[in-house]
Amino acid sequence: MFWNIYKKRILISLRDKDILIWAWLFPLMLATLFHFAFANLDASGTLKTIQLGVIDNAAYQQDLNFQNVLESVSGESEDSLFKLWSLKNQEEADDLLENGEIDGYVIYEDMPLLMISTNGLRQTIIKGFLDRYLQTKDSVLRLIEENPEAYLILPELLTPLNYTERILLSNSTQTKTVGYFYALLAMACLYGGFQGLTVISQMQANLSAVGARVTVSSAGRFRLVAYDLLGGLTTHFLQILTLVAYINFALGISFGSQLWFVLFTCLISSLLGISFGAMISATSKLKEQVKIAILIVISNICCFLAGLMIGDINYVVMQKAPVVAWLNPAARISDAFYCLYYYDNYERFFLNIGIIFSMAIAMLVITAFFVRRQEYESL
Amino acid sequence: MIKVDSLVKRYGDLLALDHFNLEIHKGEIFGLLGPNGSGKTTAINCMLSLLKYSKGEIHLFGEPMRCDNYSLKKRIGVVTQNVAVFNELTVVENIEYFCGLYVFNRARLKTLVDDAIAFSGLEDYRKFLPKKLSGGLLRRLNIACGIAHQPELIFLDEPTVAVDPQSRNHILEGIRKLNANGATVVYTSHYMEEVEQLCTRIMIMDKGKAVATGTKEELKAMIRTGEKLTAEVYSLSEPILNEIRNLNGLFHAVYENDLLTARHAAGGNHLALVLDILQRNNVAFRRVTSEPPTLNDVFLEITGKELKD
Repeated sequence: MFWNIYKKRILISLRDKDILIWAWLFPLMLATLFHFAFANLDASGTLKTIQLGVIDNAAYQQDLNFQNVLESVSGESEDSLFKLWSLKNQEEADDLLENGEIDGYVIYEDMPLLMISTNGLRQTIIKGFLDRYLQTKDSVLRLIEENPEAYLILPELLTPLNYTERILLSNSTQTKTVGYFYALLAMACLYGGFQGLTVISQMQANLSAVGARVTVSSAGRFRLVAYDLLGGLTTHFLQILTLVAYINFALGISFGSQLWFVLFTCLISSLLGISFGAMISATSKLKEQVKIAILIVISNICCFLAGLMIGDINYVVMQKAPVVAWLNPAARISDAFYCLYYYDNYERFFLNIGIIFSMAIAMLVITAFFVRRQEYESL
Repeated sequence: MIKVDSLVKRYGDLLALDHFNLEIHKGEIFGLLGPNGSGKTTAINCMLSLLKYSKGEIHLFGEPMRCDNYSLKKRIGVVTQNVAVFNELTVVENIEYFCGLYVFNRARLKTLVDDAIAFSGLEDYRKFLPKKLSGGLLRRLNIACGIAHQPELIFLDEPTVAVDPQSRNHILEGIRKLNANGATVVYTSHYMEEVEQLCTRIMIMDKGKAVATGTKEELKAMIRTGEKLTAEVYSLSEPILNEIRNLNGLFHAVYENDLLTARHAAGGNHLALVLDILQRNNVAFRRVTSEPPTLNDVFLEITGKELKD
């Protein structure tokens, strides 16, 4: 009996257009849309190397300290603060500044002077750098003047003291983009509710004619529902896996290196989605279309609060209403994926999985309570 | 086979079954006949333990019927009023699914599915999805899903609603075949001709009560009408109609829309007497028929209203 019901449920799920569209094609399309929409999201917050011109005059040549300091923070790589442009005269510098090829230039006379054409973050950084240089230079000169022996311990004095230690939580790059895709995956998992909803509707005599036929059969109630839900879970899990594969391989979104844990998260989250739909279907006699509307609305609210539409909202919810954040299934699913991507320990991941699994079990228990009925007041 | 004692079922204030009693014997094709809302489907759903009831007892195969009595359910087949199949499964997959709820042996399941397909004449449609089937073929599939496991007792709830005459004949023939193979059939319909053709015993229901039970001959014998006379008559005056009404043994005569209808007891020569009156009074008439009473006449005489198809 198991194989008969299980196999048929998989066939039904794969041929049900509503399920295919909502639980599979829609998330795939949305993922593609996200890919194009968020292509430059992470790049937009990154500070690129500042293009700084220096007029190579006699005064500049004489101040070796200033030259050394500038060169220590300059280079050709993306990590360098400045890329230095050595310029012959002020005319050339003004031309480059006007064309936007450099962000500013330094002309050295008695002291370095900054010339800029606009105000902005990059210009503020150059100014901050020069001010700091001048302050430090002034302090050192005064110290040596008052106490010439201090010259001997100058390198030690100039070495910055660190009172904090930097510990890396992750070897992964911090990125905003993955959050959107993980929230999208959470939505796809919750849309497994379509499977659960359909399965239960087709098991209940008061909800469908098929349900009446199944209920009068000699098959045990709970076994029947369990086999059927398992078939639905299998299909949905496979749909989620194709979505993960598409996001990972075709769109290039990383899930970290913990493949088995990613699969495990997909499975538990699919179970939660199926259970969610089953519970909605079992607990009311509303029309199926109304139940589908309820399922979509609740899922979308959860996904919105998990950061599907506005990336930082999940952090706001976590700060302002932590209970809502912890009980939001979409937030827990996306956070579980994020933990696998970003953190190198599993503490938070397993906490998320524990919450997701507990929710799924609670929903299944509620479903079982309503589904156990085989006799009805009316059909 | 089935024994129902004093069954009472309420939907809120509405009394759907009012101390309903029923006894069906092995090998019968038992017809439940009544207008829509008379309680036929409610009675069946109670017998199947789908509906809770307020009072009464139901025994099937000598055992009390309960929703968790799976050994009893195994011996029952149900063909629901609404087509109950999966739209996403083909004909063969649907039958396999429902038969598989009763039969777990794969080889036996395959044989039964093939038998059910042959029985319902769906050999050419094995891989068709339900949406590709006509109304009649869909009904046949609905029946095949209900009887594939070869049950001893089959409930058929209005199985011929909205089907073409060819499929209707196929379905009725199939039910006779099932009965000939040993199945007891409980058949509900509001098509009285079907019930009359098919059923060995009939119960007429109205307002949740059994108003009469018996063979069709027994039911017809319960009423006064022995013959029903109709004639197309042009311009029949009230005095002539009264003369007809005064004929001995004739208890009902009406004239409406150029049609004279009269009912009279069995025996006597009422047809000749009526025609004699019309001829004597120079009343033109044509298309005269005289026929035995139908189940509709039985229903009409017992309840005072028509049993409409």
